[in-house]
Amino acid sequence: MKVLKIVPEKCTGCLRCELACSYMQTGTFQPAKSVIRVSPYEGHTSYAPYTCTQCVEGWCMTACPVGAITITPVGAKDVVDDRCVGCKLCTIACPYGTIFYDPDTRKAFKCNLCGGAPACAEACPTAAIVYEAVETCDWLGEFANERSMRLLAVGGR
Amino acid sequence: MPPRHLVVGAGTAGLNCIRTIREEDGGASEITLVAAERPYSRMVLPYYLDRSIAESHVFTATAATLAAWKVKTYIGRKAASLNPQANTLALDDGRTIEYDDCLIATGSRAVKAPVPGADSPGIHSFWTLDQAREVIGGIKPGSHVVMVGAGFIAFTILNSILSLDAKLTIVEIAPRILPRMVDDTGAALVEAWLRKHGVRILTGATLTRIEVARGKRRLKFKKGSDLLADLVIMATGIKPNLEWLQGSGIRMDHGILVDDHLRSSVPSVYAAGDVAEGKDGVTGGHVVHAIEPTAMEHGRVVGANMAGRDVAYRGSLNMNIVEVCRLDVASFGAWDDPRAEAFAGHRPERSAYRKLCWSGDRLTGAIIIGQAGDIWTTNDVGMLKGLVQTGVRLGAWKEHLRRNPFDVKPAFIASRTTARLLPETILGRPSCAPELPTTVTP
Repeated sequence: MKVLKIVPEKCTGCLRCELACSYMQTGTFQPAKSVIRVSPYEGHTSYAPYTCTQCVEGWCMTACPVGAITITPVGAKDVVDDRCVGCKLCTIACPYGTIFYDPDTRKAFKCNLCGGAPACAEACPTAAIVYEAVETCDWLGEFANERSMRLLAVGGR
Repeated sequence: MPPRHLVVGAGTAGLNCIRTIREEDGGASEITLVAAERPYSRMVLPYYLDRSIAESHVFTATAATLAAWKVKTYIGRKAASLNPQANTLALDDGRTIEYDDCLIATGSRAVKAPVPGADSPGIHSFWTLDQAREVIGGIKPGSHVVMVGAGFIAFTILNSILSLDAKLTIVEIAPRILPRMVDDTGAALVEAWLRKHGVRILTGATLTRIEVARGKRRLKFKKGSDLLADLVIMATGIKPNLEWLQGSGIRMDHGILVDDHLRSSVPSVYAAGDVAEGKDGVTGGHVVHAIEPTAMEHGRVVGANMAGRDVAYRGSLNMNIVEVCRLDVASFGAWDDPRAEAFAGHRPERSAYRKLCWSGDRLTGAIIIGQAGDIWTTNDVGMLKGLVQTGVRLGAWKEHLRRNPFDVKPAFIASRTTARLLPETILGRPSCAPELPTTVTP
């Protein structure tokens, strides 16, 4: 299956992915409701986006008491809005922190790969987010670890 | 002869077991389901109470679905006794069912505070669908609802009661609210938030009796003045349904003691969910985690093992989340371990609170409280679960989190928690979508 491959070294922190994602998911430019989220590293000298890996366990999906999370034709785990009651069990079951709750709609929401044409990958000007048929992996761990030394050494942000 | 599986209980554990058997065997075995009630999800009853869903939404497996999964059903029947030597179960109507292996998933029931008058009309529990229907019928706009008990179950229906324009008073015998979900500081924060949102809370209040007077319920206390209520909900605890197993020889303590394959002391008898006392994945001890995620994981592991797989369960993780008036409250793992090293962060002006509990440089428990508008713009709820679940070593990040317990994300990512999590599965294979078992071959 195709996944969102993240190449953190290429991220410039422009946040276009967050804008594109929130626009695609909610119809408004609202980064707070984006399901891909950019974090700063090394005192804002580098950045990387973080989103759902579409993990094989699907912790959110198995946790749902009413079967409201399913697998779409492109292999994404997605919330079926008219089944979701907003109980948030999925948000404590997901160990990655990539399923959220929208207090306005009272539903859970997450990355659904935009049905096979992810807006974040399309919007990224530096190809830091690529939609590709590769094995999903921990795209950010090494990058973040290398860029944490200064933060941890000085004992501040 | 195909194996004969017997599932007793159609709650989360029982249905996940059946679903998993069918995912594994495609319909090759015989499954019999005994259930006192038609299958529905208790988790969603609060949303039925506030009318945001129709009653039909609560049902988890219809008669047609169970037929498609090739399940023989005894719905509306209770298990009366188990004979593990003969591999038979007796029903309450005298019939006997033979099995090769059996899952006990009879769940728990609500218990009322033992005071005179607790069983009179207008004094409700909110646990089963029937009880939910009674409460729904009883609350009118302007009603004064008194909730006895300030635990998790009470709090799951708090928003619903307020949304029906009822006036709510919570009375709690303990000196504080949410005793088994958050610590004292967290409880004080939630209590202050609720008072600000018009909920009256009386802690340290010992209910002594309830009288019916002119269509109202009068609650009397050891100290203080009486309360007059239109409707009383007793959210005073739950108890596992185990009495019917007395004399079966199955080993029980707080629940049925199970091994890492969820087998009881009798290998052909499994237990799952609220009746099972199984491994805690954080402490390694044996415990009853009467929560939905444990029932689900237990049920899936039992289903796979019944279908012939050899699946060991890593242990359950204590966790809960509840929202009251747009304040989210969640806790994970051993957040209440008095021996654990712990540090906390408190931002009273945002009603935000974090507590992190440690064993060395591994997170063993966490509490997170915050307004919906703060919490869901972060990845922190799930990330705290991931850190407790994996027990990943956080090294120097521990000191960072001591300085700033709110800065979870960089610690999670840089500690390569994702790499640890990606290969983890409950059943040793990818999970199936909820629709899949309907494709069982007839």
